Amino acid sequence: MATTGLYSQHLHNKKVLYLRNTVIAIVLTILAAATLFPICYMILSAFGPNVSTAGNMRTILPSRFTLESFDAFFHFSDYSLRWILNSFVVAAGVVIGNVIFASMAGYAFAKIRFKGSTVLFGLILVAMMIPYQVTQVPLYILMVQKFSMTNTYAAMILPGLCTAYNIFLCKQFFSGLPTPLIESAKIEGCNQFQIFIKIILPLAKTVLAVMAINTFMSSWNDFFWPFLVTNDPSMYTIQVGLKQFKFANETLFAPMMAGATISALPMFIMFFALQKYFMEGVTIGAVKG
Amino acid sequence: MNSTKLKRQQVHHKLRFTNEDLWGYIFIAAAMIIFCVFTLYPVFSAIYTSFFNYKPFGSEFVGLQNYIDTLKYSKFNLFYKAALNTVIYTVVVVPLSLLLSFCIAVMILPFKKKTQSVFKAMYYLPGIASGVALSVVWLWLYDSSPDGIFNRLLGLFGIPAQNWLSSTKTSMLSLIIMALLSSHGVRIITYIAALLGIDNSYFEAAELDGATFFQKVRFIVWPLVKPTTLFLLVTGVIGSFQVFMNAYMMTGGGPDNSTTMIGLLIYNNAFVYGKYGLACAQAILLAIAIAIMSLFQFKLMGVDVEY
Amino acid sequence: MKKIIALLLTCVMVLGLLAGCGGGKTTTETKAAPAATTPAAGDVTEAPAEAAPDTIVIMAPPVTGNYLENLKTWAADFHELHPNLTVEIIETSWGDHNDKMSTMAQAGEAPDIAEISSNALGTYVEMGVAIDIAQYLDADRLADYDANALKYLSLEGTVYGLPLYLTIQSIGANKTMMQELGIDVAKIQKEGWTYEEFLDVIKTGTKDGCYGFVFANSGVTASDMLYMFGAGAGLSNTFTSDLKYTFTSENMLTLLSAVEEMTQSGYMPNYGVEAGQRMVMCQTGNAMIFGKAMPLFEANFKKNNAALAANDGTAVENSLPMDYAFLPVPTMLGCEESCYGTVDGLIAMRNKNTTDEHLKNVLLFMDYICSGERIAACMNELYLDPVCQTGRDALVLEEGRDADNLATAARCIAMVQAPPEGVTAEMTSTAKKLMDEQIVPKFQLLLAGETTAQEVYDHICEAAYAAFGEENCVSGKLG
Repeated sequence: MATTGLYSQHLHNKKVLYLRNTVIAIVLTILAAATLFPICYMILSAFGPNVSTAGNMRTILPSRFTLESFDAFFHFSDYSLRWILNSFVVAAGVVIGNVIFASMAGYAFAKIRFKGSTVLFGLILVAMMIPYQVTQVPLYILMVQKFSMTNTYAAMILPGLCTAYNIFLCKQFFSGLPTPLIESAKIEGCNQFQIFIKIILPLAKTVLAVMAINTFMSSWNDFFWPFLVTNDPSMYTIQVGLKQFKFANETLFAPMMAGATISALPMFIMFFALQKYFMEGVTIGAVKG
Repeated sequence: MNSTKLKRQQVHHKLRFTNEDLWGYIFIAAAMIIFCVFTLYPVFSAIYTSFFNYKPFGSEFVGLQNYIDTLKYSKFNLFYKAALNTVIYTVVVVPLSLLLSFCIAVMILPFKKKTQSVFKAMYYLPGIASGVALSVVWLWLYDSSPDGIFNRLLGLFGIPAQNWLSSTKTSMLSLIIMALLSSHGVRIITYIAALLGIDNSYFEAAELDGATFFQKVRFIVWPLVKPTTLFLLVTGVIGSFQVFMNAYMMTGGGPDNSTTMIGLLIYNNAFVYGKYGLACAQAILLAIAIAIMSLFQFKLMGVDVEY
Repeated sequence: MKKIIALLLTCVMVLGLLAGCGGGKTTTETKAAPAATTPAAGDVTEAPAEAAPDTIVIMAPPVTGNYLENLKTWAADFHELHPNLTVEIIETSWGDHNDKMSTMAQAGEAPDIAEISSNALGTYVEMGVAIDIAQYLDADRLADYDANALKYLSLEGTVYGLPLYLTIQSIGANKTMMQELGIDVAKIQKEGWTYEEFLDVIKTGTKDGCYGFVFANSGVTASDMLYMFGAGAGLSNTFTSDLKYTFTSENMLTLLSAVEEMTQSGYMPNYGVEAGQRMVMCQTGNAMIFGKAMPLFEANFKKNNAALAANDGTAVENSLPMDYAFLPVPTMLGCEESCYGTVDGLIAMRNKNTTDEHLKNVLLFMDYICSGERIAACMNELYLDPVCQTGRDALVLEEGRDADNLATAARCIAMVQAPPEGVTAEMTSTAKKLMDEQIVPKFQLLLAGETTAQEVYDHICEAAYAAFGEENCVSGKLG
């Protein structure tokens, strides 16, 4: 049962209930429309004629609808489809790594009292505070010079395999779980690993789904790091590939938007695949009982 | 006598790893290895570099010179102006977008599952638009000519056309509006996850006590999602202090440096002027400022909320 | 169990330490490496390179639409000529080329050859990764390139790269409309014009819904306006031949006052205009003259005219058929006519496996793609003249180029004044920082009508005196 308990379910007047929901729906739709604007523009331009520059940007609807931009996108490079596949491999690797490692670390920081946990967690937070512009040079030296990983999936996946952001997210979520639940399992003779697998993970579906989808999205949208470590067009990710549509004096605008639209599709699918996990709230009571 | 014995015992206790300690280390081992190699090493390397006039073939040690150069006050030192801009931007954008995300997340809840998923998708979707599409659209919205979208909108209310990104009066405001109207998907989804984790029995009890909707939000929901709020606040402030992309794409600093951010300064020093050591020093100073801010937030919000 | 865990823990720590030590080692190693600007001169005479296989890495963005495709062909041709040499191409995207190049250079992993804009050269020279190419290239090959263009890629007399092209930045116009208004376009193209004449023309061109002049000046593009009109006000270069900073001269004040006058005249928009909008405004009849413009834009106008004629929906929306005229920059203060130019070229860069033998091979390939029919093919795409003799010899002009525009472009290129000799890398990077952080932001303020020319001028002088010292800045009128 989702947390609808926040809203009164016992309204006697059906009319009031409908009125309330309609008002909320209108407000939500208006707010959503404002943020949806760019993506609508992107999709509409993708279906427009294959013009080079943004042209006269004052109209939203393209002069006519056609699929030629998609055609141009797929014929722009031999690797157009490969780029999407690459992006998928990288994002999937990063998501799996984070779901496993960040959830374990997050749980440990939240619920296991071990020596040095505060210091180590502090360290993780502090590392997040250094802007990436200065850390990517040493990281580049590490991956390219020391590990010779140019043009590999490993080079693109490893640095993001377990991010400080996700450890922090998991820690915050797990710290909200009731400690007595864990204590009682311990008394029953479960070790921490069993507790994690049997009790914590089922409760963590929501946060893991959120983490997976957000991580997938940021990995999918990441441009600069894949751009740095790939020199071979067959290893580009879709974001790196999309940038190839920009030249000194002109941009292949519509094909670029077509590519962006295609590249958005997997994220959309990912969202719907995972959303049932954060539809259902986790009722701790049910587990406890 | 007794006290020394006790102390010795304590020391002994401190040195010995308990079962609990070991489990902790096992759980964090993989994460820490990845973290040390791919995050901590570059961070330490950046700290180390901040004491050098860095050159790929033959850096020279300059001690604190990079820090002195950054902090030395002069009319032409942009660091302070950029710091002020960054603080203004953060102070406005982070709390407002948190509040907005929280309200939207709460507002999505009363609907049936199908409607909920439609709204969630609507708010999540903008995040998948490519950065290029986003910047093109925003530049277009902020077109300063009388035919620009926002100018036409203002015209409906009889307000004269604005010179959005090209005027000191509106450039920072423009970036703030852009941040507030851009995607809140990640925050909203994180909040929804937290909201769904709240046990219904709390609301049932409150309902029996005759609590109003706003009382429930204030006294049950808000305290219980505090860890999430803290998380979003801390990461939001970190992100906002490091903000760089919007200033870089939209204004490049803007008239009279009115939208020059620290992130942009660091980027320019590292990639345009080739002063990597200086950029590292500025990044470290920025990190120290963020750390102090974060500590303050942890204190303010309480470290953990226990049931 | 505990032992295993302890072992695991030690592993973590050792790994952490290793990572830390690794970092330490890199920096000490790099310190030991010889400084970039002093390669051992004695080593140049060595065994012939023909036998030893070598790989040359080149990194370039799409300089022209077909550049990267062409580059692949040339690399294959080159490999046939020199079977022991293989070329590896790193393709970058236009907007992000410099970020990648800078990161790679700082990591000591720079490509052997990289595309660069002349105004970014100082950064890489200061970084110690740019290579003095003259000693690795035959003198007669170097002599093939125009001295003027080479000067852009030189600092303190050292040549760091070979030019791809010298591009000029000026203004362009709707020729059809100008002629309808009875303006003698051909005369302007042939003889140039003064700022007063220019003001008259844009006044004539300003009508309901149409500005006489539009300049893309929003954001960082504002500096283009400064450089472009600066050339007409005697400010062709940042430094004089006796190495004094020029932007503090009275010419600057004249230039700023002129810009102030233009912004407030109503003959040009008094708001920021995006780079993508300028040409569109001209093509849709919302502006008569626009900047910045290059000779290349003739191709855009022709393409649009063809699209309008074919009515296939690919033309710029609401655009009109019109001819394009490339115009020279108006002169101010009775200064000699001039034009602002920059050079894009290829530079050789130092990385971990740079040796003298390797550099000779690198230069062999660099020279190969910067000369002859290779460069001629690029220039045909860019509507520019090659800057080397072999390129000019190989150039076969495309059909249908507008003769007047061609002549004007040639005349403007001849007027471009290369930077003076003796400017140091430090001077150029100080000037660049001054420009980006102090001058452009204040200039944008002027464009927004929020300050006066005098205030901007005073600020520039104060900032320049602080950066270079007053004695190293020009006071009074230039020339």
